[in-house]
Amino acid sequence: MTRLFLIALLIVALGPVFTGAAQAADGKALFGFYCAQCHGTEGEGDGPNVTGDFPVDPRNFTETAEMEKISDADIRNVIIDGGPIADKSPMMPPWGKTLTDAEIEALVGYLRQLCNCTGKTG
Amino acid sequence: MKTGVSVFPALVLLVMTSSLAQADAAAGQAAFESNGCQSCHYTQGPATEKTIADQLAKKGPELWYAGSKFQRPWLEAWLADPQPIRSMKFNSVMEPNPGGHAVLSADQVGPVADYLMSLRSDMVVDGAVKVKKKNLKGKLIFIKKMPCSGCHQFPTKKKFSGGLSGPSLIGAGERLNPDWILAYLREPKVFKPVKMMPVFVGVLSDKDMKNVAAHVATFK
Ligand code: HEC
Ligand code: HEC
Ligand code: HEC
Repeated sequence: MTRLFLIALLIVALGPVFTGAAQAADGKALFGFYCAQCHGTEGEGDGPNVTGDFPVDPRNFTETAEMEKISDADIRNVIIDGGPIADKSPMMPPWGKTLTDAEIEALVGYLRQLCNCTGKTG
Repeated sequence: MKTGVSVFPALVLLVMTSSLAQADAAAGQAAFESNGCQSCHYTQGPATEKTIADQLAKKGPELWYAGSKFQRPWLEAWLADPQPIRSMKFNSVMEPNPGGHAVLSADQVGPVADYLMSLRSDMVVDGAVKVKKKNLKGKLIFIKKMPCSGCHQFPTKKKFSGGLSGPSLIGAGERLNPDWILAYLREPKVFKPVKMMPVFVGVLSDKDMKNVAAHVATFK
């Protein structure tokens, strides 16, 4: 009985680790393909598009303090509708017609991993 | 009766010239294959890429709609002397384009151009985009309202400007068929089901797409 209980506990405890890893892998591949061109392969805001001509700096997602200020919903909205929805530059493209909801969720998760933060709640 | 007589030779001539072009396209296809071009370019539509991995596995851009995409004089000149189009290496985010694309011998350029120009897509509507010297609405979309300039090089008064991840659009007016540019924006699933460029269907209206296509077609 106790052994069964322990196994069950182990599964419950490890579950999030497994699903978390699967989601992160997906988010990372999506980020590398769609976002790294501006936000950089490591998310530091230094992709190849950011030349002297680029009018604004794409967000550096490793800046924990800045990323703490925005909620998951804020991130989701900017990804879907682009910079202008949050009074930011139109140089941040709208991806709502490109990505599925699941892909957007994976990206939100990946950005949270990059900033190592949870952000504003609500 | 008279008209019947004069129409007849014209008809023969038409049939002859079109079969001649076909013969050249066949010779061009043979040259395309013997040069190993199809090892990096697929020439049979429709698009098969479904995932990011499919897109990244490609070694070169697909050419199955080349005849709808390119302008013939540009294509011939480029096949004889290919210069980098993309700033970055194909399918790479960080590595610059090393250049050094395969070159055809002078006698193969014409037939291969015939062959590639015969590969057409019926999703491209001839004459849909009216190109004028300027399209200010399209320009505003390209440099201000939408992030096009963030990923594409384009000509400016100074020289040129813009991002590097997309193909350079400098010279797009000579390279690309304006009607194809519109079709590319309208039908992302047909031409590029998986790409680093955002889908603008439902973001830009059809009118906006026509304007921005017409603006890109002015790029020298
Ligand atoms: C064409 C370049 C470009 C691409 C590609 C791009 N971004 Fe951005 N992004 C920007 C710029 C520029 C900003 C900053 C806008 C500002 O500060 O006005 C930004 C801002 C953001 C923000 C807002 C951060 C904040 O502080 O509010 C998020 C979230 C974001 N991008 C996520 C993404 C994701 C996810 C992708 C990939 C799906 C992506 N971006 C692709 C240019 C880009
Ligand atoms: C090793 C792979 C490889 C081979 C072999 C190859 N190409 Fe390419 N081709 C590419 C790449 C990569 C590009 C993009 C070049 C650039 O952007 O500068 C390209 C671009 C092109 C383009 C322009 C397409 C576009 O959308 O910009 C044409 C046309 C073309 N190749 C024709 C040919 C022909 C004809 C041959 C055979 C003689 C050939 N290629 C052989 C990799 C290849
Ligand atoms: C986030 C970067 C990005 C943005 C924003 C962007 N593009 Fe692109 N664009 C690309 C990439 C990358 C390709 C090449 C896709 C491929 O071949 O896989 C491309 C391809 C193209 C092509 C075809 C070029 C060729 O030779 O094949 C045209 C035309 C074009 N874009 C126009 C536009 C216009 C107009 C806009 C704005 C409405 C725009 N792009 C916005 C990245 C971008």
